[in-house]
Amino acid sequence: MSQEGQKAWVAVTVIGRDRPGIVANVSGVLYHHRCSIEELSQTVLRGQFAMILIASLGEGAALRSLRDEFAELSRNIDLDINLRELKSEDLAPYPAGESEPFIITVRGEDRPGLVFGITEVLAERGINITNLGARVALLGQRSEYIQVFEVDIPKSLDYSLLKEKLRRRGKEMGVSVDLQHKDIFRAINQI
Amino acid sequence: MLSSEEIIRTVEMLKNENLDVRTVTLGISLRDCAGPSAEDLCGRIRQKIRKHARNLVSTCDRVADKYGIPIVNKRLAVTPIAAVAESLKREDYVTVARALDQAAQEVGVHFVGGYSALVQKGFTKGDLHLIHTIPEVLSGTERVCASVNVASTRAGINMDAVSLMGRAIKETSLRTADRDGFGCAKLVVFANMPEDNPFMAGAYLGFGEPECVINVGVSGPGVVKKELERAIQSGRKLTLGDLSEIIKKTSFRVTRVGELIAREVARELDVSFGIVDLSLAPTPTVGDSVGEILQCLGLESIGVPGSTAALALLNDAVKKGGAFASSSVGGLSGAFIPVSEDLNISQAVQKGYLSLEKLEAMTAVCSVGLDMIAIPGKVDADTIAALLADEMAIGVVNHKTTGVRLIPVPGKDVGDKAVFGGLFGEAYIIEVRNANRSSNFIRFGGRIPAPLTSLNN
Repeated sequence: MSQEGQKAWVAVTVIGRDRPGIVANVSGVLYHHRCSIEELSQTVLRGQFAMILIASLGEGAALRSLRDEFAELSRNIDLDINLRELKSEDLAPYPAGESEPFIITVRGEDRPGLVFGITEVLAERGINITNLGARVALLGQRSEYIQVFEVDIPKSLDYSLLKEKLRRRGKEMGVSVDLQHKDIFRAINQI
Repeated sequence: MLSSEEIIRTVEMLKNENLDVRTVTLGISLRDCAGPSAEDLCGRIRQKIRKHARNLVSTCDRVADKYGIPIVNKRLAVTPIAAVAESLKREDYVTVARALDQAAQEVGVHFVGGYSALVQKGFTKGDLHLIHTIPEVLSGTERVCASVNVASTRAGINMDAVSLMGRAIKETSLRTADRDGFGCAKLVVFANMPEDNPFMAGAYLGFGEPECVINVGVSGPGVVKKELERAIQSGRKLTLGDLSEIIKKTSFRVTRVGELIAREVARELDVSFGIVDLSLAPTPTVGDSVGEILQCLGLESIGVPGSTAALALLNDAVKKGGAFASSSVGGLSGAFIPVSEDLNISQAVQKGYLSLEKLEAMTAVCSVGLDMIAIPGKVDADTIAALLADEMAIGVVNHKTTGVRLIPVPGKDVGDKAVFGGLFGEAYIIEVRNANRSSNFIRFGGRIPAPLTSLNN
């Protein structure tokens, strides 16, 4: 329920087989409940559609009936739809403090444990991942499994030591790992 | 927003295509060190260099690590010693050079450039002392590099200086005969010498420059070659104009690297950022070659007909891409053709594809000159001077910088190989035709007047 001067927020996540109409259906429900989509991100991996959106509830919007309508939609069109109620403080990004953006690239043959191998090192040091992508890439004749992590490294952390640790971990797993400040990628690729 | 393609491509450039910052050169003014006592001068030089350069190497290493880009060389460039040591006696000049050498060693840099004189219009006493001590300095020190500007578009060509430098080159090579004349690899003779060139052996700090300045030389023939190969292998129909575009865009990326690194090193050292020199400077590593780029452009080898045109295309595309990438472009900026430093070019000499005459033609359209060329030890000083004169004329008339770094190799001839090692590589000795036929020309001396085109006010 919304109060005067204080909006109510929800995060909606949707997963299911990709086909036309999903976003229309979901945004339709939100529109009927007078919700406003503030931000939205969607991706498709191997034919599976995944979306997260943040919506603010309009005047008089009822959370319970929103949940019910999504539950029905979910049954009708075979999607997992989850609604998560948010307080306005939930909307603040993770406070990375004084930090610098770095990019970690991991390349090599795919095998179980690669993502965990790297993310464990990051989690141990309180380093937050702001973006992550992984796929198989074709480079000339070879194909490689490549992961790209964008991370915020606190200024208090020695990135040289981190680079060493990541390299060693990479070696254990049979992949090559690089850590570089994001500015070099911006400088080379952006006008 | 960076796409993962862009990120992967960038990492590939850095890891597999030899993209690196070839040099970070810290210029330090020694003007305030000048004085009548050699001992005081040496002391002040060492102190000043120590003060400003002591963190250069560690800062470069740190910045290189942060961005994952190697900074291959850290160097120093100083005010022309001919000016700094102007009031000293001839023998003191060697002492000053040794002090420079020691200072460079102390702070851990590979080379210090600036044992230099600018004599395009005539000599001062100091200039003559410097020129006459070049052979002793280059054979007696490790890290000192010398350069002399003997010509400019405004002044013309100082043929007396040209004659002296012909002799200096010959003598330097004799004094370093045990190392295949390597002393000459640390000596360049210039026309229109740039004041902010970060590359050796011609780096020096010009008189319009500040107290301290960071100038950076990037490099990336390997990156350019890979991009061309990718485009050609894609099967698309490409014209030379399309290939020029590809080189331009690649040169943009390469220059951006240099700019980022330069500004950060300058910031960390609390020193001005000068320029990025966007020269395609090759190394003896396979894949890091300008000669290979010309082969990509369809020539069987550098030196065959078409080489001058292809090099002109390359040189121009590099400059255009680089100029867009940075507001402060300077130094030599273009494509280098240093024979011994580019394995492919060196082999082109050995196989007979590349002649000295063709190299001279190519210098009219590229950015450096007759660079790192090993010639037979027996070539006489006057022929060397005449070769210098030819190269200076190209620079003077075309309003460009040209330089000469010829290395006579004592005891060796065409077909032999001079081995210098490291980034200097090895060079097959090139034939110098028609030697011993130019002495009377050189003997006239005096100055070849400035061309009419220099009157451009």
